[in-house]
This record gives sequence, structure tokens and C-alpha cells, in this order.
Amino acid sequence: MWWIPVAILAVPLIILVLIYNGLIAKKNRVANVFGTIDVMLKKRFDLIPQLVVAVKGYMKHEREVLEEITQMRARAMQGISDEEQVAMDGRMTEALNKVMLAVENYPDLKASGNFLHLQRTMTDLEEQISAARRAYNAAVMDYNNAVEMFPTNIVAGMMSYKTKRYFEIPAEERAAVKVNLDR
Amino acid sequence: MKTLDEFRAFYEGELMKDLRALEARRAGICRNLLILFVALALIVLVIGVALGMAGGPAAVFVPAVLSVVIGSLAAAFMTKGYKRDFKLRIIERIIRFVEPQLNYKPTGYIDRETFMMSRIFTTRPNRYKGDDLVSGTVGRTDMKFCELNAVHESGSGKNKHRVTIFKGLFFVADFHKDFRTKTVVLPDTAEKLFGRLGQKLQAMNVFRGSLIKLEDPEFERHFAVYGDDQIESRYILSPGLMERIVQFKVKTDRKIYLSFVASSVFVAVSYTRNLFEPRLFRTLLDFTPMQQYFEDVQLAVGIVDDLNLNTRIWSKE
Repeated sequence: MWWIPVAILAVPLIILVLIYNGLIAKKNRVANVFGTIDVMLKKRFDLIPQLVVAVKGYMKHEREVLEEITQMRARAMQGISDEEQVAMDGRMTEALNKVMLAVENYPDLKASGNFLHLQRTMTDLEEQISAARRAYNAAVMDYNNAVEMFPTNIVAGMMSYKTKRYFEIPAEERAAVKVNLDR
Repeated sequence: MKTLDEFRAFYEGELMKDLRALEARRAGICRNLLILFVALALIVLVIGVALGMAGGPAAVFVPAVLSVVIGSLAAAFMTKGYKRDFKLRIIERIIRFVEPQLNYKPTGYIDRETFMMSRIFTTRPNRYKGDDLVSGTVGRTDMKFCELNAVHESGSGKNKHRVTIFKGLFFVADFHKDFRTKTVVLPDTAEKLFGRLGQKLQAMNVFRGSLIKLEDPEFERHFAVYGDDQIESRYILSPGLMERIVQFKVKTDRKIYLSFVASSVFVAVSYTRNLFEPRLFRTLLDFTPMQQYFEDVQLAVGIVDDLNLNTRIWSKE
């Protein structure tokens, strides 16, 4: 019967290792998805100069928004922290949506093939960013559940893991996309 | 989309004449089948009585089986032309009525490779049958659908084991977004029964790829989603599309499976009855079966609108 004390020692140890590894896997997944969002946001920043050039000639009443977008991009290019990135993402999405909605008032702009292509690319990218945000939130929920629920919370406490914040999903994103290209 | 009233007018104005002609044929076939049946029964009876006196009841078995085989072969032969004409004169016109630019091939079907490519079903069927292939462009979307019956048979003789992999309507269309990985949406059975534990079980289904937990609780109640890429699956299954899929599921009230592979969407809708087949032992001059054909076509063609496939605002043209 030598194995009984071994088992008494080994079983909790194995459980501990599983919980520990599970928590690390969850934390890494959050970081991984955040990395993807980061790449997509950079892609969006790359498109912005093109967008501004394309619409500047037409848009007369939206100077301020365009100005704001350009400034945000300039700041992001200098390198900002993850938290700032998250905060800026919301404002950026809002500003870009304003521009895209304003396009409806400029028929010449809507007729330009160049702009249409750009608009498609932007819509697509927004959809991908939105998907990445949702994936991030799902990963965070998984992680937060593990951090807060028994028994994983005990190990998480020992590893001093804290719950992470969700990405704010802009309200207009919960509804279906309204941009319409049918003419 | 056409309304039921429009279809009723079409039925009364256009289909009726052909239906009367087909009804006469159907009645004739029924009469002939009855005669055949009586004749075969008499023969079996006579042989049975003759042999019964000589060799006991087991001797009746052979002529009985033989006459069943002959009878069903003859019935299939007699109804073949009728079925074909019915499909060309009625089903095809109903399909054209719903969407004029669609093509219809009564004996065509979506091939086994495409069926397997969808990744919805993991078992490869070795008995694969289908018919009623409809294809064409609805709005800006290329699509096709057909009726399929996919079965896996194993063993032989007494150990023969048949498993129906899928029976029903199979739909393929070009999806309006580009993507590289695969995403499969399956009816949710585990989560419905076991809740959170069910979700744990689903996550262990390693053959399917990783479980994608989506944020729409209504959608999650009906479906379990597996995919290769957490982000791309969410790119495909936008909140709007999830809502539409739930609505489609509620509307059809059937088991439905979806998958997104190679920039196409696959939809499988389970049916127990046969689709687009003519009735033989009941009159054709009845609106109810016609309404059923119409609704079946409408449902399949309507998937394009239901899933909003004609909206081309993303980078894919």
C-alpha cells in the first residue's frame, strides 16, 4: 500500500499544475488577441492619410473631424501604451463613422471609384477590428472567469493575477452595418 | 420574394392546366398498379395453395418475395416518366416563378466532394444520392441547392449497419466576405442539456477545431461554433449575421447546420420527408402540396436574403 501516500501527494500537485498552466494559457490568449487588434489598428492608421486625401477636397463641413483623425494618428505613430491605444480606438471608430456617414451628403465623392474602393477596404477593416475586439472580450471573459471562480481563483491569487478590462464595443456596432453601396 | 397569394393566382392561372393532364396520368398509373397488385396476389395465392399442399408454408415465401420484387420494379418503371414530367412541368415552373433566372436539373445534385468540403459532416458517406439541383444567381450571389441523402453503411448481411449522415436540403452560396480558415456552426445539443458542463464537453471535441464562444446568448442557445481562427470566425459571424441565423432557425424550426469554408457558405437543413416529389396515391388537384413545394423552394432561395448575402460592402466584390 505504498502508493496511497504518493497519490495523496501527487493528485493535488497535478491539479495545481493543471490550474497553473490553464491560467497562463488564458492570459497568453488575451495577449495574443490583443496583438492581433494592434496589427489591425496599425493597418487602419496606414489607411488614414489616403482617406483624408481622398475626402479633403470634397468635404467642407467636416474639417474638424478630419483634423482630429489626423492628430490621433500622429500621436499613435509616436508610440503609445496599450491602455491609450484602447481608449483611442473608441474615439477613432466614432470619428471615422462620422466621416463615412457624411459621405452621403457628397454625391461626387460617392461616385469616385477610388473612394469606393477605399470605403470598401475601410468597412472591411472595421468589421475585422470589431471581430478582433469581440474575440478579445471572449478571451478576457474566459480569463476573468478563471481568476474569479473557485478553485482557480486561489491559484490566481497566489500568482497575483487580476481581472482584465473589456474593450468597449461602440453602440452602433451592435446593430448591423448601415453603410449602403447600392446605387 | 413572392407572396402566397401571388402563388395561388399563379397556381390557378398557369399550373392548373398541366396539373389536370398529370392528374389523368396519375389516376391511370394508380389503376394499373391496382391491377398488377391484384394479379400478383392471385398468382401468389394459387402457387401458395398448390405448394402448400406439397411442401408446407415455407414454400409460399419464395413466390411472395419474388412478386414483391417484380411489383416494385414494375411500379418504379411505370411512375418514372410521370415523375420526370411532373418535375419538368410543375416543379421547374414553381422554381422559375420564385426566381426566373434559376436553372433546374431534376436528376442533378451537388457532388460528394463538395458535401465533404463543407466540413459540416465528418463521416464520409458511401451511399450518396441526390436530386433536384437548382442553381443560378440571386441578386449578386451565385448559389445552388439540391436534395441530398447521405448514408454510411458498414458491415454486411446480418451485421449491416446503416447510419443516415444527412437527409434534406443542401445549400451552397458564394459568401460576401473573403476568408481563409473554416468555421462550422452546428446545432447545439450538449449545451442545451448540460449547460456549462456541456460547454466544457464541446470544447473537448478536438476533431472540430477550437470552440468559439460567441456573445449572443440566443445564438449560443441554438448553436455550437467551431473554427480554426477565433478572430476570423467572428469576422464571419458578425452580430447581424448571428441574429439572422437565429431568425432563420426559428422560421424553419428544423435542425440546421452551417459552415463557412473557402469563401463559401454551406447550409444544410434537415428534412425527414422527400422534397419536390410528386404524390402518387392522392390527387394532384389540391393546393396544399403545391403550397408545400412553393414554400420549400422559397425557403431555399430565401437563404440568400435571410443571410443578407447580397450586401457587398466588404472588400469582396
